[in-house]
Amino acid sequence: MAQEVLLEAKGVTKRFGGLTAVNKVDFVIYKGMIAGLIGPNGAGKTTFFNNMTGLYTPTEGDFIFNGKPITGLKPHIIQDRGISRTFQNIRLFGQLSALENVLVGMHTRLNGTVFEAFFRPKRVIHEEKRAREKALDLLDFVGLGRDSAEMAARNLPYGFQRRLEIARALASDPKLLLLDEPTAGMNPQEKKELTELVDHLRKELGVTVLLIEHDMKVVMGISDRVSVLDHGEKIAEGLPKVVQANPKVIEAYLGTGAAAEGA
Amino acid sequence: MKQKLLNNTEAIAIGFMAVLALVTGGWNTIVCAVIAGLLIGLSANQNRDGIIRAGVLGAIASIITAIMGYIFNSWVSTLPGVDNQAPDHLTAYPLILAVVIGTITSLVVAWIHSIHEEARRKQAFLIFMVVCAVIFPFFDQCPTLAWNGPISIANPTVGCTTSKALLWVNAVIVTMIFALQALGLNIVAGYAGLLDLGYVAFFAIGAYTMGFLNSDHLVAQDTFLKTQFGFWLVVWGSAAAAAFFGLLLGAPTLPLRGDYLAIVTLGFGEIIPIAAKNLAEVRIFEPISLFINQLFSKADAQSLDRMQNAEAFLKNTLCLIGCDPTRPFDFTAGTKGISPISPPVFGNILGIPKIYAFVNGDYIPWYFLALVLLAGSAFFIFRLRDSRVGRAWVSMREDELAANAMGIDIVRTKLLAFIIGAMFSGFAGAFYASYVSFIEPGSFAFDISVTVLAMVILGGTGNITGVILGAFITRVVDLVVLERLKQLINGITEKVFFSGIDNPALVQFVQSIADATAYKVMLFGLILVVMMKVRPQGLIPAETAAQKRKA
Repeated sequence: MAQEVLLEAKGVTKRFGGLTAVNKVDFVIYKGMIAGLIGPNGAGKTTFFNNMTGLYTPTEGDFIFNGKPITGLKPHIIQDRGISRTFQNIRLFGQLSALENVLVGMHTRLNGTVFEAFFRPKRVIHEEKRAREKALDLLDFVGLGRDSAEMAARNLPYGFQRRLEIARALASDPKLLLLDEPTAGMNPQEKKELTELVDHLRKELGVTVLLIEHDMKVVMGISDRVSVLDHGEKIAEGLPKVVQANPKVIEAYLGTGAAAEGA
Repeated sequence: MKQKLLNNTEAIAIGFMAVLALVTGGWNTIVCAVIAGLLIGLSANQNRDGIIRAGVLGAIASIITAIMGYIFNSWVSTLPGVDNQAPDHLTAYPLILAVVIGTITSLVVAWIHSIHEEARRKQAFLIFMVVCAVIFPFFDQCPTLAWNGPISIANPTVGCTTSKALLWVNAVIVTMIFALQALGLNIVAGYAGLLDLGYVAFFAIGAYTMGFLNSDHLVAQDTFLKTQFGFWLVVWGSAAAAAFFGLLLGAPTLPLRGDYLAIVTLGFGEIIPIAAKNLAEVRIFEPISLFINQLFSKADAQSLDRMQNAEAFLKNTLCLIGCDPTRPFDFTAGTKGISPISPPVFGNILGIPKIYAFVNGDYIPWYFLALVLLAGSAFFIFRLRDSRVGRAWVSMREDELAANAMGIDIVRTKLLAFIIGAMFSGFAGAFYASYVSFIEPGSFAFDISVTVLAMVILGGTGNITGVILGAFITRVVDLVVLERLKQLINGITEKVFFSGIDNPALVQFVQSIADATAYKVMLFGLILVVMMKVRPQGLIPAETAAQKRKA
C-alpha cells in the first residue's frame, strides 16, 4: 500500500515497576484506514492507547504522528494535534447535557476567553452558534437525535452514552480517532449497529480509526488491518483473515490446548 | 395531595414566617408576609386553580403573620430588653398593609409560576425579584415615611430612630457581601470542583488593599502614598491584588490533587490574617543600614564617605514605604485595625465637583451599591458558566481525566477558576472594608471560609440562585432572627417566669443558657448535617438541561 503514514509507533515499551505492560511494539497506521488492535484481557491494549494519548509516558520508544514526535506530550496537546479518543469504561461528563458534552469536545477548536464570555462580541456569538449547530449535527450523525441533546449525559441509555462518547471525540475534527472497546457490554444487535457507525465514520467523515476490541467478530468485519497484542507483545499483524488463522493468535485467545487441537 | 388543605412546603412556609413575624415584629411583619407570599406562590400549581388557591393561602398566611406582628407590638415589645419599636408602630395600619401586600405577592408569584413558556417565566420572575429588591429597603425603615397613618412624606422622621427601625437592611447588605463571596467560591468549588478552605484570605487581601489605598493609614505615615485613591479605583485594585495572590498560591499548588489543595488553602487562609496581625512594626531600613555599617566597618575616610553615599541611596530607593528611622513602619496596624476607611464618592475627581458621598451608617445607598455589585457579578458568572470556559470548568469537575483527554489544559483551567474566584472575594472584601470602615485581622477568621463554603453547599453547588439563597438564609438567620430570638426569650423569662422571684443571678443563668446566638454554630452544623442527609445537592441544585426541559 502506497499510503501516507499517519501514526507510527517505534519500539514502544511501558514498564510499571517490574511489570512490562507493553513490550517493544512497532505499529503503523495509514491515513484513511480502520486499524484493529485486539488481544485477550490484560494484553496491554489500553496501556498502549494511554501511552499514545499522553496519559502515560512510554518508558522507551516513540510515537510519531503526522511526521512529528508526540511522545511525552500532555494529553490536551496531543488531542489538539488531532488524536481523539473514547474510553473503555464510559467517561462522560454526567451532569452536563449531551450537547454540552460535545461542545466540551470542541474546546480546542473554539477561542472564547473569559472577557469574551462576559461581553459576548459578535465573533463569539457566531462561534457559539456554529459550534452548537455542529454539535447537533454530530449528535444526529452518531444516531442520538436532537431530542436527546438536552438530556443530562448520565440519564442517557447505555448505548447512547457510547455513541455520545464517539460524538464528543469527533467534535474536535480529529485526524485519528481511537475507540477503546466501543461495543463492550452490548448485545449482538447493538454491536452490529455500532460497527456500521464506525464504518460510516470513515466513509463520510474520512477519519482514520484505531479500534481496540476484545470481540474478534467486530474487528474482523470492518478492519483493514489487524494487530494482535498478547502479554504486551505484538504477536501478529496483517489482514483480518490471515490473522484470524494464525495459530499464535488462536493460542493467545483460546489457550495452548485449543491451538494444538486446531492444528 | 390536592385534597390536603396545605402541602408541606406551604405549611412550613407559613409556620416559619409566623415565627419570624413574632420574633421581628413591627414593620417587619410586611417583609415576613411578602416572603410567605413568595414561598406560597412558588409552590402553587401551574394552572388557574393554583393562582386562586395561592391567593387565598397567601391572604391566610399574611393574616397570621399580621396577627403575630400585632402580638409582638402589643405585648412582646413591652417585655424588658426587647428593642422597642416606636409607639407609632402600634397601629392597625401596617398590619392591614402586610395582609394586602402578602396576598398580592402570592398572587403575582403564582401567576408568574403559571406562565408556560420558560424564557418568559424566567424573565417575569427576574423582574419581580428586581422590583422586590428595589422596594425592600423602604419597607424596612421609615426615615422618609411616617407609618402611623396613610403614608405621609410630609412628616418624615416620626417615630424613627434609625438604629432601631433598621432591622434588616444592614443585615442584608452584609449578606450581599457574603453572597458575593459565595458566588466566587461557587466558581472554585462549585464549577471547577476545587475544595478551597482558605477562601477568606482573598477577602482579607481585598479588604486590606482597600484599607491601604483608601484610608489615611499609609498617607499619615511618610510613604509613597500621598493621597487616597478613592473607592472606585481601589475596588479594581483589590480585585487585582486578590487575583494576583490567587495566581501566586494557585500556580504551585493546583497541580496537586484534592486533599492537598484543601490543606494548602487552609494554611493560606490562616497565614493572611496572622500576617496582617504581625506586620504592624516593620523595620525594613534598620537591618539594611546595620548591614552597611558592618560592611564598611573599617573606618577610613574614603569608606565612611562611601557608606554615607550608599545609605543615602538606599534610603531614597528602599524607603518607598516610609522609613522614619525613629519608629518602625506600621504596615497593617495589627490588631488596632485600619480605620476609618473612606466610603465611595461620586465625582470629586479630575476637576469634577463632588456630586454625592456615601455616609457610613446611612444604609440605603450602600444597599443599592451592594445590589448592583451582586447583580452584576451574578450576571457575569451566569454568562461565564454558559461559555467555553464555564463548560471546561464543569467538565473538569465531572471527570478530570476525560476533560484532559478532550483537550482541556487542566492546570491552566483550574488556575483560571482559582483566580477569578479570588477576584470576586477581593471585590467583596473591598466593599466590606469601605462599608464597615474598619478592618482588623479578627474579621477574617477561619469561620468565614467555612460559612461561605456552607452557603454554597446549602444553596446548591454550582447554581447561582441557590448560592445566593443559601447566603441569605444563613446570614439573615444569623444576623436578624437569632439576635431577636435572644431578646424575646430573655424578655419572656424575665417578665413571665421570674416576675415574682427576686433572684437576678438565677435569671442571668437561665438567660445565658437560653441565649439563641450562642447556639448559632450548632444550628449551622445541624443544618449542614441534615442537608447532607436529606438533600445533598442543595436547596436548588444545579439545573441539568433535562430538568429544565421538564419544568
